[in-house]
Amino acid sequence: MFLRKLRVWKVPFMLVLALALILGGCSGGGNNTVNTGMNQPASGTDQTTKNEAIKIGVILPLTGSEAMFGEMEKNAMLLAYEELEQAGKTTIDGKKIELLFEDDQSKQDSAKAAAEKLINQDRVAMLSGGYASSNTNVIASTAQAMKVPFLIITGSADDITRQGWNYVFRGTAAPASKYTGAMWDFMDTVVKPKTAAVIYENTDFGTSSAKGFRESAASRGIEIVYDQSYEKGALDFKPILSNMKKKDPDIIFAVSYVMDAALIVKQMKEVDLNPKLFIGGAAGYTMPEFKENAGSASEYISSTTLWVPNVAWKGAKEFYENYKEKYSKEADYHGAQAYASMYLIADALSRAASADRDAIQLALKETKLDTIMGPIAFEDWDGYTNQNKPTTYVVQWQEGKLEVIWPEDAASKSYVYPVPTWKER
Amino acid sequence: MLDFLQALIWGILLGGMYALIAIGMTLIMGVMKIINLAHGALVMVGMYITYVLNVQFGLDPYIGLFIAMPTLFLLGALIQLLLINRIIDVDAILPENQVLLTVGIMVVLTETMRLLFHSDYRSVQTSYASENIHIGGISLSVPMTIGFFVALVFVLLLHLFLKKTHYGRMIRATAEDRIAAQYMGIPPKTVTVVTFGLGSALAAAGGALLLPIFYLWPDIGHLFTAKAFIITILGGLGSIVGAFFGGLLIGVFESLGATYVSMGYKDVYGLVVFLLVLLFLPGGLKSLRFPALRRER
Repeated sequence: MFLRKLRVWKVPFMLVLALALILGGCSGGGNNTVNTGMNQPASGTDQTTKNEAIKIGVILPLTGSEAMFGEMEKNAMLLAYEELEQAGKTTIDGKKIELLFEDDQSKQDSAKAAAEKLINQDRVAMLSGGYASSNTNVIASTAQAMKVPFLIITGSADDITRQGWNYVFRGTAAPASKYTGAMWDFMDTVVKPKTAAVIYENTDFGTSSAKGFRESAASRGIEIVYDQSYEKGALDFKPILSNMKKKDPDIIFAVSYVMDAALIVKQMKEVDLNPKLFIGGAAGYTMPEFKENAGSASEYISSTTLWVPNVAWKGAKEFYENYKEKYSKEADYHGAQAYASMYLIADALSRAASADRDAIQLALKETKLDTIMGPIAFEDWDGYTNQNKPTTYVVQWQEGKLEVIWPEDAASKSYVYPVPTWKER
Repeated sequence: MLDFLQALIWGILLGGMYALIAIGMTLIMGVMKIINLAHGALVMVGMYITYVLNVQFGLDPYIGLFIAMPTLFLLGALIQLLLINRIIDVDAILPENQVLLTVGIMVVLTETMRLLFHSDYRSVQTSYASENIHIGGISLSVPMTIGFFVALVFVLLLHLFLKKTHYGRMIRATAEDRIAAQYMGIPPKTVTVVTFGLGSALAAAGGALLLPIFYLWPDIGHLFTAKAFIITILGGLGSIVGAFFGGLLIGVFESLGATYVSMGYKDVYGLVVFLLVLLFLPGGLKSLRFPALRRER
């Protein structure tokens, strides 16, 4: 046995070291600050304070398991920045707006470190970004403590804007439990389910959404016959799906990121689970990658969403097409959130007309801007602070296309309900 | 009862593929006495190769496997030859600086793949991906069943290679006592190069077998490193048979846990087994008194 040959202490040391590295995620990618190449005005001699840039820190997951979303949001922000630059809106009072992207590595501790670095070292005028709710929460509390305005792009857990944090603004994202406004309307008018099953990832966003769903279902007398969380990134969902099959729910409400979503619907087909309607709570179920990876299993899957390219708001379609042309990929609502947020930032900065954090906070508070996500204003309601009132939609995959099915006046196709069973297709 | 059987079988099928990856790690562990933390990244590279072959040339993942394996053998052998062998003789403050080197290799591999393929999630579409075989109320997913049996064949082939061939004996001799092996005229550096290559090829095989049922992104390696690490400890460091049964055990534990407890704690089950083994069976499965395991040493 070779272990005998090793000195006794070597083995435990090695195991502890290895475990620490593994559990630490060992990504060690470091914070890759991306200076977006928005050059300082090359005025040569005139390097006075007047020409200092207004720095905006943007914290997004650029590596790690959520990197795909971070990349899309960064691209969408840069697209908006270019448009603003052409319109001459990126220079305020002689100072150029500069975006500093920081990577949160899809991890909470890195998100905090990134926020602190941007605030203390780079002395940014304001912060933006925030994809996963847990990371957004950490950034928000840091920003509030240091009195730096923070405009959230995506992070949606309810409690982020329920703490009375006046430096934290959420315009493009709804609180997770309010993603379902249009869905409940659809339920009340069309589906009228008696039983429901809920599965959700055990993240801040997933738990928040499930809680909202449970409360709304209870008030309508819908019985929840199956309720289960799962760890995201799982490989095999068949155990929970076959447990769910035994309960035979009318509808299934699921909150998942994109690849979990694809695996869930593919494996639903495998275990032949046939609800009358499968509805996703935004996030994964609306993404182009969901359809690509789930293939034919994505057909008739519905989802709530905050934005679709063919929505009526001005500029939405143009954004979708410009994005596709520039990055040869499709953007979904995450991209739209980042794009609209960039416009919100530019708008607030132009009214604040300075890099002063308190002035920017005031300007954000007074925002009334029409964006590709609809009109946005930061209001205080229902215990929320600086929270825009969201517009939501129900979409359904039909023949490989994401169609709006509710509200009825915005619908691009009529809904398919109840959906055919796997065997009937 | 049927549920239990179903969960058990799902667990075993998945466990077989975990085992293949872990065996690659344990092989390297046995000969070089280091935990290869780049192992998951090698799985990831193998998956990308299989993916590209599928998307560009329409090669089925199970055929792409036979291109990914030699490629990874070469990559692994080169890593050992050009990187790890260089620092093997160097004395450092940390006795395990080779382990740290593998972390560096992992980061380089992951970021290279991100550069080439971005962070997008990718998966292959096959005609059989959601096919099932039904046997008396139990359903078996076709890609999982194929994956399991191919993994089984590889484990058997490796076993035969190590037991019956001259080179296999050289590898085992080096694992047992590097210095004594050297006295017997075995070149340890060449043996480690071949071993690292073999381990990497097995990692690629595991990845390729998982590709039709899972998906792929550059950071997927961490998942496999953690799994393989736990299984390696569970099986007893350096033991092939131990790692095989360790893999099955982890697969079964995860599947039963998800069925009867909650899927929210998927990763906890593996870690609980890990702690229990460290506490009560510090030598891993191989220290159980099974004659077959004992003979393998």
